[in-house]
Amino acid sequence: MLSRLRLELIGCGVVFVLGALAVLGAMEHSIGWADDGPQAGYFPFRLGVVLLVCSVLIALQAMSNRTELAGEQMLSREGARRILGFFLPLIGYVAIAQFLGLYIATALYLLLVTRWIGRHPWRTCIGVAVGVPVVSWLLFEIWFSVPLLKGPVEIWLGLA
Amino acid sequence: MGNLDALMHGFTVALTFHHILLMIAGVLLGILVGVLPGLGAPNGVTLLLPLTFSMDPVSAIILLTSTYWGALFGGSTTSILFNIPGEPSSVATTFDGYPMARAGRATEALTYAFMSAGFGALVGVIVITLLSGFVTSFALRFGPPEYFAVYFLAFASFVAFGSGAPLKTIVSICLGFAFGAVGMDSVSGAMRLTFDFNDLIRGISFLVVVIGLFGIGEMLLTLEEGVEFRGASGRLNPREIISAIRRLPRYWVAMLRGSAVGVWMGITPGGPTAASFMSYGLAKRLSKRGANFGKGEPEGVIAPETADHSAGTSAMLPMLALGIPGSATSAVMLGGLMIWGLSPGPMLFVERADFVWGMIASMYLGNVVGVVLVLATVPFFAAMLSVPFTIIGPIIVTVCIVGAWTVAGAPFDLWLVVVFGITGWAMKKLDYPIAPLVLAMVIGDKAEDAFRQSMIMSQGSIGVLWSSPLVGVLSTLAIVLLLVPVFTAWRARRRKGHVEEEVPSE
Repeated sequence: MLSRLRLELIGCGVVFVLGALAVLGAMEHSIGWADDGPQAGYFPFRLGVVLLVCSVLIALQAMSNRTELAGEQMLSREGARRILGFFLPLIGYVAIAQFLGLYIATALYLLLVTRWIGRHPWRTCIGVAVGVPVVSWLLFEIWFSVPLLKGPVEIWLGLA
Repeated sequence: MGNLDALMHGFTVALTFHHILLMIAGVLLGILVGVLPGLGAPNGVTLLLPLTFSMDPVSAIILLTSTYWGALFGGSTTSILFNIPGEPSSVATTFDGYPMARAGRATEALTYAFMSAGFGALVGVIVITLLSGFVTSFALRFGPPEYFAVYFLAFASFVAFGSGAPLKTIVSICLGFAFGAVGMDSVSGAMRLTFDFNDLIRGISFLVVVIGLFGIGEMLLTLEEGVEFRGASGRLNPREIISAIRRLPRYWVAMLRGSAVGVWMGITPGGPTAASFMSYGLAKRLSKRGANFGKGEPEGVIAPETADHSAGTSAMLPMLALGIPGSATSAVMLGGLMIWGLSPGPMLFVERADFVWGMIASMYLGNVVGVVLVLATVPFFAAMLSVPFTIIGPIIVTVCIVGAWTVAGAPFDLWLVVVFGITGWAMKKLDYPIAPLVLAMVIGDKAEDAFRQSMIMSQGSIGVLWSSPLVGVLSTLAIVLLLVPVFTAWRARRRKGHVEEEVPSE
């Protein structure tokens, strides 16, 4: 489904973009030399250039091996399905946490994943989905007094 | 003060009830972290680190190092019982450990693994104890050029001896430096690479990156392959443990060789993963029973285990004395030292002798505690893996996400974890080594400062890197190491068809 060649080239593309960003970001400052030594942009600029060069070289290496790399499968359809089944709920989890706080998001995430992907009985799912946030509450808020992200629900309950 | 006196003083620091309790808690948490796939040593230590911000540094480092030892032990447990390495550095243990377990010799394999690991760790700590005085007095003569040369040398040795292709290692290092540079420049106060995003002004925390790369990335890999825990029983027979311990001295050659490889790879930043593979390979080539390797040969368990643990412990020496971590986990701890307000380097031995020697003393104790605890708790932890992964996996994810929040209390960091998670997966798939990236993020600022200061000293002449015999040797060595891959590529081209064995990256 996804050949090694394609993934290598995508990787090079990402490295290239990051290198370009480093160069552009460094250009906002002086990239040269002044009386007090190398300026703020000096180091990032050169890092960016190295990244740009390396990404091109790796891409060239990959292309020179292309028949071999194209035959090497990196991700099967089945693997991709499993990864998406894991990754999409994770994105949802983080998105919900931004608005509703970590406790509610954690409970919803665990309930959803254990029930729809794990297909465990409701009893187990609810137990996990309630148990983990409660344990986190005891551990973080009470024992280590590290407050976790809270949302409107905790405020409404008077817990935040 | 001699090293031995200092060590004795360290024992008085480490041997308090509070610290021993922390040690036990750390080892148990570590075993848990090591046993669970997706939660390795670097990630486990990272998740604990924010909870130590308010502790005093001695207690904090005892907790974190004990977690590390526990994670190393836990990683070997799953390698042997389930053929699933809990840690990248215990991959080599599966080669002979799992066949032994399948043949009904699980107790024997586990005992060999734990005892030889404990032996390796002790050798590592003894080397630290003996060498630290020497390394420190050596490093006290360092100025900025020497420091820069040492950093340069560390990264050059990643390129030369590391597991990844040289170009990919360079990319990892530069990406690490670039991520580390985001935020306020410590010299000029300029906002670098923030592109006017408010969330980037704080910079990118290496802890969040480690949680993403190692935690979520590892999880994606595990899930993609679809894990099944099918393996030998974790029940241990005390009589077999004793008889295995009695037979252990027979393998003294393998243990000494493994420790030597481990100490070397730990001090030069090769890391435990490379050490365990190298030791396994050497043992297979040199042992009289080399032909049995892969079929359940005890030496094939002992060799990688001793190397793994001696590398893990001896990696603490360059971390403390020079501020250069020898493995991804010690890079995280180094970051922790800086967060606790300590500056790693030779002065640490002078100014905070109680911290340094307390830590070293705790390493002796922690490993003994580790061996005993892991032997006692293996059945329990092995039974835990009978809980389906579709429950354990999501719980680990929530631990990672919550852990990322505790680093700085920033909602934006949660998104970073997701992004670095997918990055970690792709890096593993494409053999970009991850440890150099973490290392570069942690010491990026210090390396840049050292470079800037030496350039100011020399008014911009690169010749400052050859201004004295000491710094000259270091810089020359670094450049030679950078040329090693070029040389090997040239030699490989002359001997066509020669394919080198690859070592998975840490």
